[in-house]
Amino acid sequence: MFDIVTKLAAGLAVLVLGTGPAAAEARLDPMSALAGRPAGANPLDPMAAIRARADAGAARAGNEEFGGLPDGAGAEETYYQCVACHSTEIIKQQRVTDHRWDELWTWMVEAQGMVEPEPETKALILTYLKTNFSSER
Amino acid sequence: MSDRTDSTLIPQDAEAPSGSRRRFLKTTGLSALGAMLGMAVPFERNLPAGFVPAALAQDAGLDLMAGKQGLVVLGDRPLNAETPAHLLDDDVTPYERLFVRMNGLVPQTALDQDAEGWVLTVDGEVETPLELTIDELKSRFETVTRRLVIECGGNGRAFFQPGTSGNQWTVGAVGCPEWTGVRLADVLKEAGVKETAVYTGHYGNDVHLSGDEEKEVISRGVPIEKALEEDAVIAWAMNGAPLPALHGFPLRLIVPGYPASVSQKYLNRIRVRDREHDGAKMTGDSYRIPAYPIAPGTEVPEEDMVVLTEMPVKSIVTFPETGAEVKAGEAVEVRGHAWCGKGDVAAVHVSLDFGQTWQEAALEPAPNRFAWQRWRANLTLPQHGYYEVWARAVDQDGIGQPPLSPVWNPRGYANNIQHRIALVAVA
Repeated sequence: MFDIVTKLAAGLAVLVLGTGPAAAEARLDPMSALAGRPAGANPLDPMAAIRARADAGAARAGNEEFGGLPDGAGAEETYYQCVACHSTEIIKQQRVTDHRWDELWTWMVEAQGMVEPEPETKALILTYLKTNFSSER
Repeated sequence: MSDRTDSTLIPQDAEAPSGSRRRFLKTTGLSALGAMLGMAVPFERNLPAGFVPAALAQDAGLDLMAGKQGLVVLGDRPLNAETPAHLLDDDVTPYERLFVRMNGLVPQTALDQDAEGWVLTVDGEVETPLELTIDELKSRFETVTRRLVIECGGNGRAFFQPGTSGNQWTVGAVGCPEWTGVRLADVLKEAGVKETAVYTGHYGNDVHLSGDEEKEVISRGVPIEKALEEDAVIAWAMNGAPLPALHGFPLRLIVPGYPASVSQKYLNRIRVRDREHDGAKMTGDSYRIPAYPIAPGTEVPEEDMVVLTEMPVKSIVTFPETGAEVKAGEAVEVRGHAWCGKGDVAAVHVSLDFGQTWQEAALEPAPNRFAWQRWRANLTLPQHGYYEVWARAVDQDGIGQPPLSPVWNPRGYANNIQHRIALVAVA
């Protein structure tokens, strides 16, 4: 057990010290504007994406205790439900529709063997995800 | 790491593990460590005290990132990391600069570089099922060495709007190492492909994120016609060295032109199927696109989703690095690579004026089919100021890269948007 922790800590040092996106942000990069996510913009207006303010999905300051997930109702439940399989990094990258979150939940349960929590907890987590990692709001 | 802290890693009291877990998180403040601890949570009620779930004992591979240079880590569990475009300038992508796409955890055999007793099984719709050791692969079939592009199906996902789910790759989930192995087609022919063969199914020994050893991480395949073309290889070496742990040790497939998920890592079985393969991540939305163009952000009935096969034509600018300063009025070499899921690229054009005018770049032939091709252009920025270089590759059918994302799809695959870099010209 102890050596797992040592290994992990070594890996973590790489993640922290590695060249994260922060290092690259200072450079001019025309691709960053193209990765903007216009939350709430009409997806059926092709010009909306082009004029949208760039929001490359940079993580808001999150709660370190919950893997950097932003605080809010359901943050703790979301954290403990999700990190059973994967880290919070994949969650923080998402900006998807409500429908897609429902689909992802079903896929995780049916195809990936996720243990489904009580219905109230499920509702809380999905609301949290749809609130914080949405392409709709 | 104190002994006291270490002892809290495994809940001793299955009734009340939460307090110790929370205390530990607060003690360390390390989110990755917290993630490892959190892993036990959904199952904790069923665990005997002191039991260590398999996943907790298996490595996501993060510490191996010490051997990579300059990659951007998108996720630590599963491990996913991409390479900034300017670090992809090499003709042959070195290990240090090859992207990492893990669907699960790195198997122990790969971490230990232990290929002892490794057997590749070829079965299903074949006349003679084979069980081949690595030595038998090397001795019974002709060895080939080729540069083959490997590109994640989701490379470019970050540019789709609205967003699509998955790792938000920009342009760097691609590389072109040199692979050594045997032709997949030779091995399949040795086994004797039956008339009933329709598809291949590929299997490896990577470990599911949940730690459930019975669960398939990923098992994809290709149409038998693609598998029998002479390009695909069963590789044991990359750039002249045994396959690294993150890239499939001891055996992997490289099936060029298709999304890299068909190029199974940690390969131990190829099953020839009499129907489209239905392994993990072949079905549902995984690596599938709508059979017809759809409006952005809309949903598609499952039966209208088809398997993504050939990747579209694409190019990147690898030099200079975006944002570089250059001298106004003096020629500067701009260069990069171009590749295509159908084979060779026909031409590359570059624009200095936001796509108003284009000039043709010099394009080198591929050293072998499905290697990326070097392109170069000498550009002179007429006066001081801000410029963008846009690059556009065109395939043999005259189909080129779009200036904005191509047709939207629910999982954000096959985005071959033109790559642009900024150049600042100084007087």
